[in-house]
Amino acid sequence: MLDEFPGTLISTEWHSAGYTPGDSDFEECYYYDNFGGCYGARASLYGVGGIPHTEWNGIYDLTGGWANGNWEPAYNYFIGFYNDLIGTETPYEIIINGIKDGSTVNYEITVSMDDDYSVQNQKVEIIVVEDNIMSYWAGANQDHNARNVARYWIGTEDLTINSAGQSQTFSGSFEIDEEAWNSDSVKIISMVQNYGNYEVFQVQEINVNEFDTDQDGVVNNEDNCEADYNPGQEDIDGDGLGDACDLCDNTNIYIPGNVSGDYWYYDTSSLEPTVTIDVFDVLKLSEIIVSGEEESCGYQAGDLTGDGDVNIIDVIALASFIMDGAF
Amino acid sequence: MKNLYIILLISLPFAQQLDPVDMAVEELRTIVEAASRSSQRVFVDDFTGLN
Repeated sequence: MLDEFPGTLISTEWHSAGYTPGDSDFEECYYYDNFGGCYGARASLYGVGGIPHTEWNGIYDLTGGWANGNWEPAYNYFIGFYNDLIGTETPYEIIINGIKDGSTVNYEITVSMDDDYSVQNQKVEIIVVEDNIMSYWAGANQDHNARNVARYWIGTEDLTINSAGQSQTFSGSFEIDEEAWNSDSVKIISMVQNYGNYEVFQVQEINVNEFDTDQDGVVNNEDNCEADYNPGQEDIDGDGLGDACDLCDNTNIYIPGNVSGDYWYYDTSSLEPTVTIDVFDVLKLSEIIVSGEEESCGYQAGDLTGDGDVNIIDVIALASFIMDGAF
Repeated sequence: MKNLYIILLISLPFAQQLDPVDMAVEELRTIVEAASRSSQRVFVDDFTGLN
């Protein structure tokens, strides 16, 4: 069903060690600082006594199941729940954004309201999940693609807004466990939930690799300036860094080998410049190494070996490439 | 006084014309607000493993 209704049906799997394949680590989820505490904390909200058990927006539930992990009969119940809940009016909208720097994720969750609603018992949940984990379930004798397995229930925050036009932002950070999690599949899920009757009023999710920090319509993974608004992705010198954030000037063209950054127009009627890599670049690279100008724009362009260090080996490599006509 | 009557006579039909325009704007506002109102997505707490 998650594939059938992407974007409008969002789930989280909560696992306990007792109901999880022995070779999996699904139960390894932090509830605040409590390792392995997620299942117990979440199940206690709904009085879950065992599995199978699903809760739909905290309003509908289906307990019990069918033999051998056969979910097909349950679909008829689920689709009824879904159709009844989807698209109803809610005063809340949630936007999740942030920036991923290595294994550190800084997030910002904004809840806004377009209608008035009481703030009593209204909470905001912030949950980190890992999607698409294959495991073998011996009881059902089949492989199972676990979706959105809870990894870190960061917390439950108080919602303090209650009028149309208001918004509230929750921000924080967490570390991706690079050894245990597939970092490509880590998502943040956030929802507005009432802690009186546990009704979910709105929910949103985002893969941490699909943040659009500068909100220019280009997700960070594909954005040549993650933190600078540049919907056109202009990159006049073609060095992969957009003009909006290019530390090197955009007048010269610093691409690998063109250490001097110079260019000329072979065809004066064309806007495409021509870059020539020649002995002057070798001389410039030598000069950079001797002077130790590690901050210069030519330094990066001179790292021909790609090892992050610019030295005599790069000079030899550049000279070899030129003599071989590699450029 | 004559001028006042003229002004009143001119202004009356325009004043009456404002009502339907106001109603149309109000209807439009209602439609736009309803269309832009947030609609609910569905969240499943899954203690089992739903596909």
